[in-house]
Amino acid sequence: MIDLKSVSLIYQDHGKEVFACKEIDLGVQPGEFLGILGPSGSGKSSLLYVMSGLKVPTKGSVEWLNRDLGKMGDQERADIRLREFGFVFQYPFLIGYLTALENVLLAFPAEDRRADAEKFLIELGLQDQMHRYPYQMSGGQKQRVCVARALLGSPKVVFADEPTAALDHKSGRAVMDLLIQNRGQGALVVVTHDPVMLEGADRIIRMEDGEIKN
Amino acid sequence: MEGANKVKSKLGATVYLRRNLGKTMPLIGVIILAVMLIAGIVSLINSIPLSIKTIYSYSRNYVAVTPRGNALLTPLLRKSIEQGSPVEIDRLMVIRGTDIEVKSIVGNWPFVVLGLEQSDMDYYLMRMKAKVLNGRKPAVGEPEVMISEKLARNLNLKLGSVIQKPTDSDNYSPQEVKVVGIADSEFWFAFGSVEYQRENHFPPIDALLVFAKNPTDQKKLDDWTTATLKGENARVFTYQELENQADTMFNILYQILNVVIGTLVVVITLMMGMLMNIFLSQRVQEFGLLQALGYTKRSLIMRVFWETTVFVVGGWVLGVLVAWGLLNIVKVTLMDPRSFALDTFDQWAYLYSLPVPIAIFAVSILTVFAKFKNFDPVGVVERRLV
Repeated sequence: MIDLKSVSLIYQDHGKEVFACKEIDLGVQPGEFLGILGPSGSGKSSLLYVMSGLKVPTKGSVEWLNRDLGKMGDQERADIRLREFGFVFQYPFLIGYLTALENVLLAFPAEDRRADAEKFLIELGLQDQMHRYPYQMSGGQKQRVCVARALLGSPKVVFADEPTAALDHKSGRAVMDLLIQNRGQGALVVVTHDPVMLEGADRIIRMEDGEIKN
Repeated sequence: MEGANKVKSKLGATVYLRRNLGKTMPLIGVIILAVMLIAGIVSLINSIPLSIKTIYSYSRNYVAVTPRGNALLTPLLRKSIEQGSPVEIDRLMVIRGTDIEVKSIVGNWPFVVLGLEQSDMDYYLMRMKAKVLNGRKPAVGEPEVMISEKLARNLNLKLGSVIQKPTDSDNYSPQEVKVVGIADSEFWFAFGSVEYQRENHFPPIDALLVFAKNPTDQKKLDDWTTATLKGENARVFTYQELENQADTMFNILYQILNVVIGTLVVVITLMMGMLMNIFLSQRVQEFGLLQALGYTKRSLIMRVFWETTVFVVGGWVLGVLVAWGLLNIVKVTLMDPRSFALDTFDQWAYLYSLPVPIAIFAVSILTVFAKFKNFDPVGVVERRLV
């Protein structure tokens, strides 16, 4: 479904090339739970952003359903992110002036998915927070709203970048369980430095200095 | 369905503005104040030439011809007009005139008290579309005047008030001249007995008022009289000339006004530009998140475009309404009681304020373009930019 072929992501740092990802070959299969483990600065987040089309690799290619993401225009790549992918980021980013329900519906700007969104929020235990604004919610509740946003519309792949980093262990575990249980047929790619959060993963790869080590 | 529609419009142009009133209202307030300030200043400045044109608008109804220093010229001028007029003349009055002063927002202006024959007074009132409200017409040879209601208001005169007197050098007459009649008219006027003026006022020279039979021909008569008689032997007074003089007089003032308003627009725009920059910087997280989720730069720019449009158009419309409201208050409380002219629907005043929203809109959109040019949503979701 996603195929990375000799992918490198290179930054320029004071005229010096720094490899965030180096010559990576990797595939993600439909429905797979892939864990990407590594210490801070190992390049695991960069890899996730390249896989999801948020960054274009400097070298190599990332194919989504046999189509090179790097050769697509911004509009097409954005459409894929919006329609086919779901995202959960390290911090529970929500738009402050929208309610929890409205934030979830951001994933479908042109469609009325209110019933689906409400159902998701109820399943995630947020029935009382549905019409609250982010400032009225705890960190864990906000991240659960982000999970609902990522899962709305049953995306083919959910990308989660350190989704538990800003939460305590218990809340983090709860968020991971929600992601795993509610992703349906979609693949799940989770980046973390905490191996405990990858319990139940179909496959775990380890990153170090921009390279896959196992 | 109502709920669904509400959710569907979650990123509509007004959602951010409505739900962040603490941030948007001060910005809209600046636009309102700027528009109000500019429209107010321009309206008040425009009220000066408007006052001139209003006070002296009686001259739309006739052309006045005054011989230069020689009383014997009057009959000759009369003959020339009667024989050469290109349009049919309805009435040619032989009159006298003395000066009084009327009040304006920029000081006192001269105004003429006509001396009319008794037989001309009714015709004069008819051409001034006047209706006598109180009192009567001035009697032959008596120190009396009939004035229009607007003039009465301007000088705070009532029946029996003295309009000219021996001790008032600006409103001089050897005897106390009293108001004996007040007439309602759109025009300002004052007339007394020509016999009284001939007896008491200098110079001893009769002037002429010439009325075209058809009021629509008056301008043609004015133009012909100016072209034929104005010069060494006569002065010719027409409304057209008054209007031209007023426009010329205010031309430089308007140029200065343009510079002042231009500067004001630049200052306000710079200030608003900086505020908009801060305003948009506070939303970097929102834009980064939306872009990361799959919203295109174009859709986000369009969103800001529509928000800014609603914001500046709304601010301008509110500014115009507030300016209109305040000008009406000024008109009712300060201008009308003194018969000062003020057009609260002065379209130029409101058009002058248009550069404010246009400039703010342009700065806002350019700011957004600059911000999005190299915008990296990953920087936001990794919290490097927020």
